[in-house]
Amino acid sequence: MNGTMNRKLALVLGPVTGVLMFAGVVLIATFLTNREYAQPYRAPAAVVDPTPRVEGVAAEAADAEAKAKATPYAEAEYRQFPVIGSRVAVWAVSQLHLLFAAFVLAVPLFAIIIEIIGYKTGDLRYDRLAHEFTKLLSVSFSLTATFGAFLTFLLIALYPKFTNYLMSVFSPTFLPYVLLFFAEAAFLYTYYYGWGKFHPLVHIGLGIGLNLVGTGIMLIANSWLTFMTSPAGVSDTGALISLYDAVYNFTWMPINIHRIIANVAFGGSVAAAYAAFKFLQAETDEERAHYDWMGYIGNFVAILAFLPLPFAGYWLAKEIYAFSQTLGLTMMGGAFSWLFIIQAVLIGNLFLAANYYLWLGMGRVEGRQPLQKFIKYLLIGIALCFAIWATPRSILATVSEIRAMGGSTHPMLGFLGVMSAKNTAVNILILTTFMSFLLYRRTGKIATVAWAKTGHAAQLTIFAAAAFIVIFLGIYGYFVEATVRIGLSVPQVSSVLIAMVSITIIDVFLFRRAKMTGDVRWGKIPPISQYVLIFIAVTFTWLMGLMGYVRSGLRQHWHVYGVIRDTSPDAFTPTLGFATQVVSVTVLIFFVLIGFVFWITSLHDRPDFVPSAKTVTHPGADVVLGGALGHQPGIARASHFEGRTQ
Amino acid sequence: MNITVLLALIAVLVALRFMKAHLLLWAGAWWVGIYVLLRFGFRVPIPASVISIYMGIVTLAILAYLSSSDERREEVFGPLVRFMTERRHTPFLAVTVLAIPALAAANVYVQMNVAIEPPFFPRTIHPASPTEITVQDQRISIDSGDNPYRALEQSNPDEFRKHVENGRRVYYQNCFFCHGDNLGGNGMYAHALNPIPTNFADGTTLPSFRETFFFWRVSKGGPGMPEEGAPWDTAMPAWEKMLKEEEMWDVILFLYDFMGQRPRAREEVHQ
Amino acid sequence: MAVPLIGRIGVLILASTAFYAYVGQLVPQNEVQPPQETVLRTDLTTAEMVTTGRQIMDAKGLCFTCHTIGRSGALRFPDLAGIAGRVSERAPGVTDIEYFAQSLYEPDSFIVPGFNPGMPAINRPPIGLTDQEILCVIAYLQSLGGTPTVTMQTSHKYYTPAGAAPVAPGEAPANGAAPGQKAAPVAPAAAAPAKSAQLKPQAAHLGGAFTS
Repeated sequence: MNGTMNRKLALVLGPVTGVLMFAGVVLIATFLTNREYAQPYRAPAAVVDPTPRVEGVAAEAADAEAKAKATPYAEAEYRQFPVIGSRVAVWAVSQLHLLFAAFVLAVPLFAIIIEIIGYKTGDLRYDRLAHEFTKLLSVSFSLTATFGAFLTFLLIALYPKFTNYLMSVFSPTFLPYVLLFFAEAAFLYTYYYGWGKFHPLVHIGLGIGLNLVGTGIMLIANSWLTFMTSPAGVSDTGALISLYDAVYNFTWMPINIHRIIANVAFGGSVAAAYAAFKFLQAETDEERAHYDWMGYIGNFVAILAFLPLPFAGYWLAKEIYAFSQTLGLTMMGGAFSWLFIIQAVLIGNLFLAANYYLWLGMGRVEGRQPLQKFIKYLLIGIALCFAIWATPRSILATVSEIRAMGGSTHPMLGFLGVMSAKNTAVNILILTTFMSFLLYRRTGKIATVAWAKTGHAAQLTIFAAAAFIVIFLGIYGYFVEATVRIGLSVPQVSSVLIAMVSITIIDVFLFRRAKMTGDVRWGKIPPISQYVLIFIAVTFTWLMGLMGYVRSGLRQHWHVYGVIRDTSPDAFTPTLGFATQVVSVTVLIFFVLIGFVFWITSLHDRPDFVPSAKTVTHPGADVVLGGALGHQPGIARASHFEGRTQ
Repeated sequence: MNITVLLALIAVLVALRFMKAHLLLWAGAWWVGIYVLLRFGFRVPIPASVISIYMGIVTLAILAYLSSSDERREEVFGPLVRFMTERRHTPFLAVTVLAIPALAAANVYVQMNVAIEPPFFPRTIHPASPTEITVQDQRISIDSGDNPYRALEQSNPDEFRKHVENGRRVYYQNCFFCHGDNLGGNGMYAHALNPIPTNFADGTTLPSFRETFFFWRVSKGGPGMPEEGAPWDTAMPAWEKMLKEEEMWDVILFLYDFMGQRPRAREEVHQ
Repeated sequence: MAVPLIGRIGVLILASTAFYAYVGQLVPQNEVQPPQETVLRTDLTTAEMVTTGRQIMDAKGLCFTCHTIGRSGALRFPDLAGIAGRVSERAPGVTDIEYFAQSLYEPDSFIVPGFNPGMPAINRPPIGLTDQEILCVIAYLQSLGGTPTVTMQTSHKYYTPAGAAPVAPGEAPANGAAPGQKAAPVAPAAAAPAKSAQLKPQAAHLGGAFTS
């Protein structure tokens, strides 16, 4: 029964299904053919009556074409970069180029010094440290070159006429520049990849070669840009008279010196930031100890190089005044005078942060820290100097405040706004920072030499004498003429330098065979100190960006000051607020890129990828996040984990 | 410096020292103390923009101090963490959380709510004079001229006294309403004027200028000021329209005579 | 804390750069425009030259970066108030026009006692005023403590306008050159075709570029 029913049903259902399926296929086919693109029918062109509009459009097109064909070739003076404009594009790219170049020049400079120290003392830690610093180099070097090429293309594309002029003046320097660049690459890669593969002296020789070549490159590039600020060796209309004079212009040497010192300071701070980054992601105490030490050395290098920087800056400013009073006044008294208040905020922050790091470092030493109680006095000194330096020359005040002051200058603050006070403040700041360092040095140590008491007294006397001389000369500066006053900064600086050197010498002998009251426990430092290191690196970078702006922006509406006018739409000098925004964005880009450099460098230490590793974390996630988040690779963590569970 | 403010601040800090105050209280006291010192401690007030720079630095320094050693970090952050985590503090915490934006809003309100003031013009009180002026159709050289009656002081003292007495009469009939009966710039109308009338009794004004300079100022008055002297900002009339030339010279003689001072000598031409 | 390390560092970097950019917003915001290239009419009256001269000194000439008018105390450069009245004592026997021209074209040839040299030659870059603009500046300087007499046709040691009789070096004009005395006012196009009238004496843009 069931069987027959089933067969009947199948007989009926078969055709029905067939019909339905056929209908479905037809439907789909129709649908698809309807959707297929077909040329719509158009009436033949000849049939269409040409409307006036169509005729007009056609005539216009023909006209435009004829015009384009007839246009003779004309040299463009400027081209526009989309959205942000030519100036900002060149500005940001050259700043990035410069930041990486500074880093690439600076790291070999102190890597070689650390390597030599390691070679002399036979301490392998130093060698490892120097190697670790150079690891950052190769990626940075290619980024420098990439940005250099980018900058060159931008200049040629956006400022063709002016670039052409610079080339006509400086073309003989291009070949040496390129050759030096090749030599730089050769030295750099042999220095890095040949680590431990040669006799140490050969390797040190390579490092010295790397530094010499790098400095040579910088000197050539500096001649181009200093020529733009203080041209020499050309006629009033810009024709080249003497290439030697054009290269050796007023600001060339000061900029060279200023840049070498600043590069070391900047490189040290970025290397310290690298160490801080590694410290924060470290898993073991040994790693922490190593990176704490590395950060300390990097920061030490940075601060040491930073101390003479204000003096190099004064020399540069003096040469700018000597070249052109107008240029000097534009910088210090005109459009850019407020920039130096921003600079004061940055430098004050740097000093404060550097001291703060040293104070935190006292926590590394075991046991009580009796020297901590001096911190508040140092801090008062720093805050006072910072405040003096940040006091503006021309004060911003509301109308009622001006009335209350009886004029636009304040009877007391007016004294703090001038150079005399600021010179004094910066010298005292330097002395205070040096004092912090001394305090840090003697934490956990007690001098045992027979003359310990005399030694301490002598140090204190020298310090007090230097401070007294600086302050006395600073006050004396208010009572003498400007010409004498400028000269006073020399004895101020030299008394500070002499004090620092003599106190250091005494200190070295004083703490020979000193009694240790507590060990230095590297790595035992609160994590906040590492964030301070990163903050110092950011501040340094930002400061470089700002000073790069003033060096370049100083020319105002000139490409080459007094010789080649800037007639582009970007010839005006932007507001400081705008400039600081550009600097900030550039600094952020730099840190994203330097993060990339750190990540690539950390790939070096990462174990090879194992397809079926039994790891605690997901391997895929680790590849993506490991570098970015700075976790240790899976295997290292697994062993760490097991070690804990056993 | 305002000594009372300074002393009061020192007293508060010393009191805190003896109370063995908590570190947080110390930090707060220093911050507030420095603010009070900057805001009220100076005779000539410090502009708000400078105070904000200084207070920013002070804030940074105090934060650095509080966190720069383990013990201090413990002492400071312990209570803060307890305040934020313990249940019994929850109402206060809520109040604090609400108070911060409220304070910011109040600050914005205060900052935006400044009274509208006229722009400030840095006025030169004694601007440079022209080389010569024309008064009542007579050209008078400011640089090389002199008070025509000054010579009488030597040649004819009696006549000179007459001129001075005439000057006194002119002064008390015309000038003293503003410049005051003792030439102190504090006459009965003076308080209604801004800027106040010139004070001749300050000991320096009269000897710093030559008589021709004052003749220019008297005859041409406020309207004759050059731009940097803000001619729109002074009430001195142009007396050439009301007084005779002789009367103006006489009143100048009187000014010097009354104060017992001599006009500035004519500068020799430097070769 | 649940915030990953990279996030914390990123926030730190972002916050510090943002803070510095914020500091940059707190200072006065001046946008300095390049000086406008202007061509002065040759038929300006002396009164128009005085106002134009003042505008040039404010803007393109950058004079008030160093000089002041009506200030005393510690000055960078000499104060200009009443300057025309002091010519006779500074440079006896020289007309004020010649004295002003000399201090603009060759600033180092006479330094006011008590001041340091340092003023650039005004007719050359970077300031580079034209001869006509310098005439206007002289007109304004004359108006400070004196009576302006200079016209667009005035000749002096450093400049002889087209169409004006050249002055022999020794012959100093008695009181500048009154219009019509030296040379009849010439039609602009004929006298100086290259520097013909294109701009009003007020030089509309000059005022705008200056922020006091």
